[in-house]
Amino acid sequence: MAEPILEVSGLVKHYPLTRGVLFKKQVGSVRAVDGVDFVLAAGETLGIVGESGCGKSTVARMLCHLERPTAGAIRFKGQDITQLSGKALKAVRRNIQMVFQDPYTSLNPRMTVGDIVQEPFEIHPEAAPKSDRRRRVQELLEVVGLNPEHVNRYPHQFSGGQRQRIGIARGLALRPEVIVADEPVSALDVSVQAQVVNLMERLQDEFGLSYVFIAHDLSIVRHISDRVAVMYLGRIVETGSDAGIYDHPTHPYTQALLSAVPVPDPAAREHRERIILTGDVPSPADIPSGCRFRTRCWKAQERCTREVPLLAVPERFRDAAGPVAHDSACHFAEERRVLPPDEPPGPHGLVTA
Amino acid sequence: MLLEVHDLHVEFGTRDGVAHAVNGVSYRVDAGETLAVLGESGSGKSVTAQAVMGILDTPPGRITGGRVLFQGRDLLRLKEEERRRVRGAEMAMIFQDSLSALNPVLTVGDQLGEMFTVHRGMSRRDARLRAVELMDRVRIPAAAQRVGDYPHQFSGGMRQRIMIAMALALEPALVIADEPTTALDVTVQAQVMDLLAELQREYRMGLVLITHDLGVVADVADRIAVMYAGRIVETAPVHDLYKAPAHPYTRGLLDSIPRLDLKGRELYAIQGMPPSLTRVPPGCAFHPRCPLARDVCRTDVPPLQAVQGPGAEEGERASACHFWRECLHG
Amino acid sequence: MPEQPQQPEGAIAGTGAGGAMDLAASEATALERGPGGYGGRGGQDKPRSLWSDAWRDLRRSPVFLASSVVILFLVVISVWPSLITSGNPLQCDLAKAQDGSQPGHPFGFDGQGCDVYTRTVYGARASVTVGVCATLGVALLGSVLGGLAGFFGGAWDGFLSRMTDIFFAIPVVLGGLVLLSVVTSNTVWPVIGFMVLLGWPQIARIARGSVITARQNDYVQAARSLGASPARILLRHIAPNAVAPVIVVATIALGTYIALEATLSYLGVGLKPPSVSWGIDISAASPYVRNAPHALLWPSGALAITVLAFIMLGDAVRDALDPKLR
Repeated sequence: MAEPILEVSGLVKHYPLTRGVLFKKQVGSVRAVDGVDFVLAAGETLGIVGESGCGKSTVARMLCHLERPTAGAIRFKGQDITQLSGKALKAVRRNIQMVFQDPYTSLNPRMTVGDIVQEPFEIHPEAAPKSDRRRRVQELLEVVGLNPEHVNRYPHQFSGGQRQRIGIARGLALRPEVIVADEPVSALDVSVQAQVVNLMERLQDEFGLSYVFIAHDLSIVRHISDRVAVMYLGRIVETGSDAGIYDHPTHPYTQALLSAVPVPDPAAREHRERIILTGDVPSPADIPSGCRFRTRCWKAQERCTREVPLLAVPERFRDAAGPVAHDSACHFAEERRVLPPDEPPGPHGLVTA
Repeated sequence: MLLEVHDLHVEFGTRDGVAHAVNGVSYRVDAGETLAVLGESGSGKSVTAQAVMGILDTPPGRITGGRVLFQGRDLLRLKEEERRRVRGAEMAMIFQDSLSALNPVLTVGDQLGEMFTVHRGMSRRDARLRAVELMDRVRIPAAAQRVGDYPHQFSGGMRQRIMIAMALALEPALVIADEPTTALDVTVQAQVMDLLAELQREYRMGLVLITHDLGVVADVADRIAVMYAGRIVETAPVHDLYKAPAHPYTRGLLDSIPRLDLKGRELYAIQGMPPSLTRVPPGCAFHPRCPLARDVCRTDVPPLQAVQGPGAEEGERASACHFWRECLHG
Repeated sequence: MPEQPQQPEGAIAGTGAGGAMDLAASEATALERGPGGYGGRGGQDKPRSLWSDAWRDLRRSPVFLASSVVILFLVVISVWPSLITSGNPLQCDLAKAQDGSQPGHPFGFDGQGCDVYTRTVYGARASVTVGVCATLGVALLGSVLGGLAGFFGGAWDGFLSRMTDIFFAIPVVLGGLVLLSVVTSNTVWPVIGFMVLLGWPQIARIARGSVITARQNDYVQAARSLGASPARILLRHIAPNAVAPVIVVATIALGTYIALEATLSYLGVGLKPPSVSWGIDISAASPYVRNAPHALLWPSGALAITVLAFIMLGDAVRDALDPKLR
C-alpha cells in the first residue's frame, strides 16, 4: 500500500441528549459515530457505504473539521488534526476539502459563480496573488467542464449537474490532497451522474487526489473505489477491497445490503437470492449490546448479545488467500455470494459520442 | 383495458413562459399489470400521474388536451364530485414522502379509518377494526397497539407501509405509485417493494410505478414507458427493453450504469443535460444530446412508431426515434 | 387522504431563488431551472438574483405601485409640507372653531379654530418620522441581537430567548401609559425609544430563525471547511440570505408603529400639543364629533390610509421575496 495520507483511529462522536430548558440535564447520548478506524492511502479512493443514520456523513464532517470528535484521532500525514485550532487548523484545511451532496444548498445563491470559486483564495490569500485569481478561477471552471465566461452568473442559472461541477471547482481551488465527497451524485439526474463520476475520476488522475467517497449507491461506489468500508449504526462492520466486499462479503449486513440493491437486469429477477431484513435500524440513542446488528440478523446467537465482534480478518479466512481475507466484524462470518455474476458486455456499447 | 391515457397535454405557466410539461403522452395499463414510467426530473412523469389522478394544481397547471379513459369513462370530462368518488375508491396514489403525505395531527388509525367512514359509510368502530386489519395486512408489527399512534412515531419504512395500506384500503383497480421507495434505505426499499408487488398480485390491481431507478424497474415492471422532456420516447416489455433498447436515450441510460467489466474506465455518459421545459428543442427533444442525431432530428418530431425486432411480435414495442433501427441493432 | 399533494416543507424566504425548486409539482423543478437552454451552455439571459426577480415582480404588482405612490407622497409632504399648504398649523382663530369647509380651508376648522387641512398635512411629519425611525431602530437592534443569538447559539441564545418572552408579555399600550407618562420631553424621541424597546424582540425572533435556517445550508459548511472566519461567514454568507424575512416584517411593522404613535398621542402620553400629530388631533376632535365630524374624519382618514399603505407595501414585498408564500 502506498503512503497513508489520512489515518483515522477510534473516532467517536456522541451528541448529548438533554432535557430541561434552563437547567439542562443529560439524559443519554446519540452515538452517531462509535469507534471508527480506517486508513486512506495517497491517490486511493475509499468508498464508505451504509444506510441513513449509520454515521457516514458525520465521519465526513469530522474529517473536514466541521464537527469536533468526542474522542479519537484523525492524522493527516502523521499529524493529529482534531485538536488543532487557529493558524495551524487553517493550514490543514487547505489540504482536506469537501464536496457536498445537495448542489442546490451548497452554493450561496447571492454570490456569482466567480465569487464562489474565488472565495477560497480570499480566505487563503497566500494561495494565489490577487492579480492571478481571476485567471485561476477561469482555469478551474474550465477544468471541471464549465464555460469560463459564465463567472458572472448566479448558481440558480445552472442545472444540478453544473452546480455540482461548481462545487467541485471550489473544492479544488486550494489544490487539496484529500477530497471528502458526501453523496456527490445522489441528488443528480441519472443521465448526469455518470458525467460527474467521470469528472471526479479524471481529476483524481490529473491532480493525484485521494478520495473518501461516501454514497448509498453501491454500484457507483464499486465503480470508483479501490477499497470499501460498510458502516452500520456508527461502526464499520466490514472493510476490504472492492472485490472482497462485493464478491466475497462475509458480514451478514453487507450480504443483506448487497442483495437488496435492485439489479438493472430483469433477467436476474427470477434466480436472484434476496435477503430481506426484518425490522428497522435501531436508534443510535439506544444501541443493542454486543453486536449492534444482532437485532436484525438471522444468524444471531447468544454470544452476539454478549460479545462485541471486533473488526478483523475472521479466523477461518486468516490463512485464505485472495479477496475473501478481509476485515469483518462478525462472530459467525462466512462467505456468501449474493450478487449475480456480472454478465459479459451486452449488445450495448453505443459509445460513439 | 383498465386505464388508457390518450394524447395528454399539460402546460404550466411560469415566470419564464409556458412550460410544456406533458406533450402528447399516451399509455395504457391492464388489470394486474405493472407499467413502469421511467424518467428524470422534468420528464413529465409525475405531472402525467397527477393529471390522471386529478390532483394537478390548477393553476399553474393546465390540461390542454387528451383523454384519460378509466374503465371506459373519460375522467377529464367528469364533474369534480364524480371525480372525487373515483379517487381513493377506484384509483389511489402512493407518494414518495410519506411524512408530508400523512396528516401529522391525526392518528394513523383515524386516517385509515376515514377511508371507510367516508367512502363506505361505516361506523367509527368498524372502521377502526378495518384499520387494524389493514395494518396487519401490510405487516406492521403489533398493529392493534399502534393504531392510535401518530405518523411521526413510525419509521420511514413503516410510514410507507401505512401509505400503501391507505391506498389499498378500498381495493382500488388502479394504484399509481410515485417514487414509492426513493426516500427509503436500500434494505427497507426491498421490503416495501416486495410488499407492494405481493399485494398487487393478490388484488390484481393495475400498477403505474413512476421512478427514475433502472434497478427498481427491472425488479418489478412488466412493461416500461420511458419519458423524456414531456414525451414518451420508448415503450416496450421490460425484458426486451433491457436487452435491446430502441431509443438512444434509453440506451444511454442503460450504458451509464456502472458495471464490473468497465471498472477503471470512463463510464458512458449522456452528454449535456435535460432541457428546460420552457424551451424544449425543436424536432426531437433529445437531439442535442444524441450520438445518432442528424439534420432531420433537428426539424422533425419523431412519432412514436411501432418497432420490429426482438420481442416486438405482439406489436408492443414503439420508439420515438427516426433511427430506431440503427439504435436497436447497435 | 392519500390524494393530498405533497407540500414542500420549510418554505423560507431566505433560501431565495433556489427556491424555484418547489413549484407545484415536485418535478416541475426543471421548469425553472433557468437558462442554459437545451444546448447546455447557451442562454442570453441577464444574471438574475432574488432581488432582481423580486423587483420585477414588484413593478408588476398594482398593490405595490398604489402603496408606493401613497408613501412617496407622504414622505414628500412630511419633508416639505409647505408644498401643498401655505397655512400654519399653530395659527388658530377661535372664532372659526368647528366651522365647516370654506374657500381656502377645504377641510374646515377644528375645536380650537385651527385649519384641519393644514394640521392634517403637518401631522404626516410626526407619523412618518416615528414610523421610519422606530422601524430602523427596531430592525437594527433586533436583527443584530437575534442574528448573533442564532449564529452563536448557546447561553446567549437562551438568555435572549427568555428576554424576548418577557418583552412579549408586556402589553404595549399599558407599557406606554406607564413608561411615557413620566417623560416630559415634547419631541418624538421618547416615543421612538419606547417603540424600539418593545419592538425589537419581534424582529429578533425572525432574525434568529432565519439565521439558524441559513446557517444550516451547505454553503455555510463549505465556507467553514475552507477556514473562513465567523465574521466572514456571518456577513458574506448568512446575512444576505437571512435579511429578506426581516425586511418583510419590518415593512409591515412600520404601519403598526404609525398607528401606535397615534394611539399613544390620543391617550396623551405620546406627542403632546403644541406638537402636531394625527393622534393629538383625533384626541382633540373626539369630544366634538357630533358638531364637527370633519375635524375627526380627516386626520383619522389620513392615518388609516397611511397605515394601510405600509401594510400593503409589506404584503407586496413579502410576496415578491417569498414566492412560496403565495
